[in-house]
Amino acid sequence: MDETVAEYIRRTVLKIPREEIKAMLQKWGFLSESQLQSINFRQIKENISQDVVQLCEENSADIKQAAVLDIIYNHIYPNKRVWSVYQMTKTAEETEFFDLTDFKKKFKRRLRSALKHVTINFREYEDHAIWIRIAWGTPYTKPNQYKTSYVVYHSQTPYVFISASVLKSNLPLLCQALVVASNYHDIREMELRSHSLNSLKDIVFKRYSQNFQTYYPRPLQERKVAPENADLRIIQENISEKERIQRVNREVFGDGPQPKLEFAQYRLETMFKSDPKMDVLDKKEPFRCLVKFSSPHLLESLKSLAPAGMADAPLSPLLTCIPQKARNYFKIREKKGVFPESFVSP
Amino acid sequence: VAVSSLPDLRGTERDQAAILVQLSSRSPAFPKNSEEKLLWSGWFCCVSGDDLSDNVPEDFTCLPLFLANGAESYTSIVGSWFQKTFDCCFRRLALSPLNLSWMAAMWTGCKVDKTASPTELVFSVPCLPHPLDISYAIHPEDAKALWDTVQKTPGEITQEEVDVFMDCLYSHFHRHFKIHLSATKLVKVSTAIASAHCDGIIKFLQSQYLTGVLTLLTELAISQIQ
Repeated sequence: MDETVAEYIRRTVLKIPREEIKAMLQKWGFLSESQLQSINFRQIKENISQDVVQLCEENSADIKQAAVLDIIYNHIYPNKRVWSVYQMTKTAEETEFFDLTDFKKKFKRRLRSALKHVTINFREYEDHAIWIRIAWGTPYTKPNQYKTSYVVYHSQTPYVFISASVLKSNLPLLCQALVVASNYHDIREMELRSHSLNSLKDIVFKRYSQNFQTYYPRPLQERKVAPENADLRIIQENISEKERIQRVNREVFGDGPQPKLEFAQYRLETMFKSDPKMDVLDKKEPFRCLVKFSSPHLLESLKSLAPAGMADAPLSPLLTCIPQKARNYFKIREKKGVFPESFVSP
Repeated sequence: VAVSSLPDLRGTERDQAAILVQLSSRSPAFPKNSEEKLLWSGWFCCVSGDDLSDNVPEDFTCLPLFLANGAESYTSIVGSWFQKTFDCCFRRLALSPLNLSWMAAMWTGCKVDKTASPTELVFSVPCLPHPLDISYAIHPEDAKALWDTVQKTPGEITQEEVDVFMDCLYSHFHRHFKIHLSATKLVKVSTAIASAHCDGIIKFLQSQYLTGVLTLLTELAISQIQ
């Protein structure tokens, strides 16, 4: 077995939390059940990984099998990477039957015609998700298995989730290969990025509970929380305002849990407006700003701002439109014309 | 351990010379020949601390500001030695949002060359179910243009002017996002001159303004003694 393959397998096993190693190796299926029984999974990880490498040596593992283990790891722990969403478009309207073998063949052919050294592996999952792992080399060097890009393509949809990692220069080639292999015409980046792959899927597949479009005022359905040990002499001063905020928040964010994003970025190129009597800046050019929001769970965090008294309710549509517009990177310019207070984002 | 004096690091004649302390390591295998690697340095200084010099006896040397660079473990070792030996108190210089607003306004107004970095304010909202951080960076030319219209008397800055400057930035933000930045905590300010974090972490970015920044920090250090 190749030295580099052995080292790669050893490092991949080391990444896995100790309690999960056995299950992941079983999913991998490369080592037999009796071989797995022979490993003591209670020892320290360094020793477990050495044992695994030893057994892989016996089975003569090559890079292909090692790559599959890596895909399995990333499928179970996708949140370790940052994913960007791309949308493919086609000119023709008809939905063609998706042929997986044809897709794989065309994809490999396109990449290999441009790059001599590249490792490509596929794995299909039940939800029609095709995972592609690509290890990039150069015209002069073999593929670097530690510099990998991942693609998750749901063949029933035009969406592709890409975790490009270090080598951004290979991205155009990767996009081209995807378009050609899937018989689409074009591909564009959606300005939507997150660590949480599932949340990105929730957003583009519209699997989260969306806000309601209220065309008429709904009857107030606030949950009237009756406190158990209420002292009836205590009255909440602004209970109606609190209830209004809750109601508006629910209308704007929806009832269910929010998709998990970690950041949102706004490049502002709008005008600075101030109270004329303050006698401050009155330029005709935009006031250029870059605003970045970050949080372990951005949308839930933004949702809690108004109830905490830090923001108005409803919160600005620039923030609440994130799931509907399926983007978290924006460029905001001033809207010209009748309503100078409103904004456009291209 | 090396202790040396930096006589030029001062603001006025009455400031004492700064003192530099450096910790270096030598390779244990070849103590005589090997190169020393600088592990940690710290320096005491007083820049334009005239207020303090007035109130202190003649023979007394007072250096209220201490800057350290290196691992926290070394800082605490050096700090505890000085505390024991000189009966003093070592504490991080906490920078309040008020202090940081002053720095944002003052440093935005400084003239720098064309390739200046933006004026960035970082706000933290820790008390939510999921904490939120907001970075608000303004193009340096636009930030300076705003400050220039706010500041009325050259060479002099008032609290009112700093407030107006910050309010302008807050209301521009509110107009877009409906969030009240004034309700959040300003934790870091970054400009082309320098950056400052509320935990007392400072980065000096323009050597021509070093004395200016040190003057401000000395003032803050002195005010925290009293």
